[in-house]
Amino acid sequence: MSDLYVVMTTVLVVWVGVFLYLVSLDRKVARLKREVDRNE
Amino acid sequence: MKTMLKWGTGIWLSLTIVMAFLYAPEMTRPNMATGGFDAWPSFRIVFFHVPCSWIAFLAFGVSMVASIMYLKRPTVYRDTLAMASNQLGFLFCILATATGMLWAKHDWGAYWNWDPRQTSILILLLIYAGYFLLRSSVSDERKRARLSAVYSIVAFVTVPFLMFVVPRIMFSLHPSPIIETGAEKGSMDSKMKTVFYMALLGFSGVYIWVLGIRTQMESLQRRLQS
Repeated sequence: MSDLYVVMTTVLVVWVGVFLYLVSLDRKVARLKREVDRNE
Repeated sequence: MKTMLKWGTGIWLSLTIVMAFLYAPEMTRPNMATGGFDAWPSFRIVFFHVPCSWIAFLAFGVSMVASIMYLKRPTVYRDTLAMASNQLGFLFCILATATGMLWAKHDWGAYWNWDPRQTSILILLLIYAGYFLLRSSVSDERKRARLSAVYSIVAFVTVPFLMFVVPRIMFSLHPSPIIETGAEKGSMDSKMKTVFYMALLGFSGVYIWVLGIRTQMESLQRRLQS
């Protein structure tokens, strides 16, 4: 049963890491787009 | 709205992961020796393995449609969409292969067995690796886009065959489809189906989100270069 919690926590931590990375990437791309639009 | 959808996808998949381990009941499989049923804890990987495979299929399909649209009326966006979708399809295909290998190690004793399903997905990965090789070898933008579009359409013809036909016409260790109605032993029950469809929806959300980011990045790169 404890193995179940270990695997679940690992998968959850990996997913949260991926998700936060995607959120930061999304924000950077949006900021870049605003700058490119402003310069054009 | 978009921000809500993105955070919604994050929370949805987090909930799905917790439910896959705590809500979905344990699966059983028949024991030929005793005639009874054994617990099958590694089955929970199905909630990640199958959605990855389905999203790979979806992504390759989207790329094919974008490629057909590109050949009808060439635009930069259509080429970008086809390329980005193929990249994501390739990534999800690798994830499906990796999760499949983990499952194979647990159930069949080895990561790789040259099982028809494993071999067919490897061939699929090689076919789509060829797509990226083709793109990197052609310097002229329009020629590259046109050749890639044709390749993408032809490559997708092999996808249903390799993903669905080959593993079914040859003997395979891979489990047969188990999303069946009814309460037969060895098929998915309602709780498992709930988590399964939640995972499918969550992975689809991630695919759409990352596709959006990728196409935007590519578009910005082109604008900066021009």
